[in-house]
Amino acid sequence: MISSPTIDQILEGVLIAIDDEIMPSLAANPKAQATAQMMQSLIQGVRQMLPVVDEQLVDEHNGMIRTLADTAAALGDVSGDAADRLRERAATLGQWDPLPDLPDRDAITAAHLELGRAIEASFLDLDELQRAGVASADDALDVVRAHLGSRYMRDAETIVVGDGFVGRG
Amino acid sequence: MGGEFEQQVVAMLRGILPDAEHVEIHEFGPIPGGFSRETYRFDATIHIEGTRERHPLILRMDPPESVAILDTSRAIEHDLIEAIRLNTEIPVTESLGHEMDRSVFGEAAMIIRRSHGNSSTTDLFHDGPDTHQVDDVVRHLCESLVELHQADISTLDPDGRLHDPRGVGIDASSWDRYMDTTFEYYLDNYPKINREPMLCILLDSFLTLRRNKPRPLPLSLVHGDFNPANFLYADGRVAALIDWENARVGDPREDLGWMMMMDDLSNTKIMSHPADEGGFLAYYNKLTGYEITEQELGYFILFGTANIAVPINDAIKRRVDGKNRELLHLYLVQSSASALPGMAQLLQYPGVPA
Repeated sequence: MISSPTIDQILEGVLIAIDDEIMPSLAANPKAQATAQMMQSLIQGVRQMLPVVDEQLVDEHNGMIRTLADTAAALGDVSGDAADRLRERAATLGQWDPLPDLPDRDAITAAHLELGRAIEASFLDLDELQRAGVASADDALDVVRAHLGSRYMRDAETIVVGDGFVGRG
Repeated sequence: MGGEFEQQVVAMLRGILPDAEHVEIHEFGPIPGGFSRETYRFDATIHIEGTRERHPLILRMDPPESVAILDTSRAIEHDLIEAIRLNTEIPVTESLGHEMDRSVFGEAAMIIRRSHGNSSTTDLFHDGPDTHQVDDVVRHLCESLVELHQADISTLDPDGRLHDPRGVGIDASSWDRYMDTTFEYYLDNYPKINREPMLCILLDSFLTLRRNKPRPLPLSLVHGDFNPANFLYADGRVAALIDWENARVGDPREDLGWMMMMDDLSNTKIMSHPADEGGFLAYYNKLTGYEITEQELGYFILFGTANIAVPINDAIKRRVDGKNRELLHLYLVQSSASALPGMAQLLQYPGVPA
């Protein structure tokens, strides 16, 4: 995956471009101006959601399991169909295993970067060995390339939109 | 773009044409597209000695330095276009002049004549309206390229400014020095453009190119962006080869490799014509005797990709580092991502389909 620019930097860049490149052209069109401001607001909202969405998903998932169990427990010995349905949910969904806490994102990012730099440095060492005539360095290079090849294809499939360069006349 | 800007264009034209008694600008407007220059089209009516002529023109302007991708000179581009126009049969449009004083337009600029002809070269292919012209146009395109590649470099570049037009340390005194110093340029710049480890395919390509130098060929003037979008045609002939800003002394296979790649990406079929000559490369080989193989072109596709990847990734790095607010430089991350599997394929990465 492409980690630089970050998703947040890209979204921030779009906000800046709306300010710098689009807003000045919309002065005579209040509706378009309001639309652009709403776009900025939505994009800013996405920026604020992205860092917390996974953590909140897990937190809320586990909280709902606990809540279903606790709700039935708080009900006590009440009888009737409604109470039975509440107890049924507590006995099934309320007994799900909680999801584990997400690993620290900054730690994952730092480790990913460190591993990536190590892969990158391998090219320099393998080049040195190849130039020295070490035949097995060719095979070793293929190992590195095989790992990266599928990642480049996946990246392209993930982030490329349409075919070609927008605005290229 | 207001009237003051247009008045500067008028003043520039009056400087270029001192005999002009009066100059009027009509229909001034931007031409969309193009990553590296800001381009405007307009007509100018020139009054000289009682006559009045309307000229279709283009103003090509540098972007602000902080957001520029290719650091090239409008003065060098102007001089080259004029040297080609006056010394060869290669079809180019006249360059009227350049203004390097940034106080005039804000950035350096040049004025060139708009060519006649169709710039939608895709009309020549598939079910386009001009398929009947394709062999003749591409034959002329190939002959023009051969003429460029066989032209005396010192005639077209008497001051040697195209030996290293970007000033990045290229030594074009011999083919070997050209290649070696280009690899040095690529490798020395890798740390500067390196914003994340996934760019290591560039490092791999630089090292692979250095390890696998092909046979030498005579250095020549190369167009530097020879692709299906950079010519216009009319009546079975190339009307103009355009966009010379990346021209330099180099290996002629660079232009062929770049065209081969862009032909594929553009879904055109330049390389398959002229059909009666067995295609573009076969005809080029017939005219030059170089016997260039497709394998060699694969090498020079990588070489050319490296050449453009360095300034593009330098621009992206500057944007990521907050040196400017340009959206284009962020967009380049997305738009260039599709090129990486292509590089992996050329480098024969296992598992990357052909």
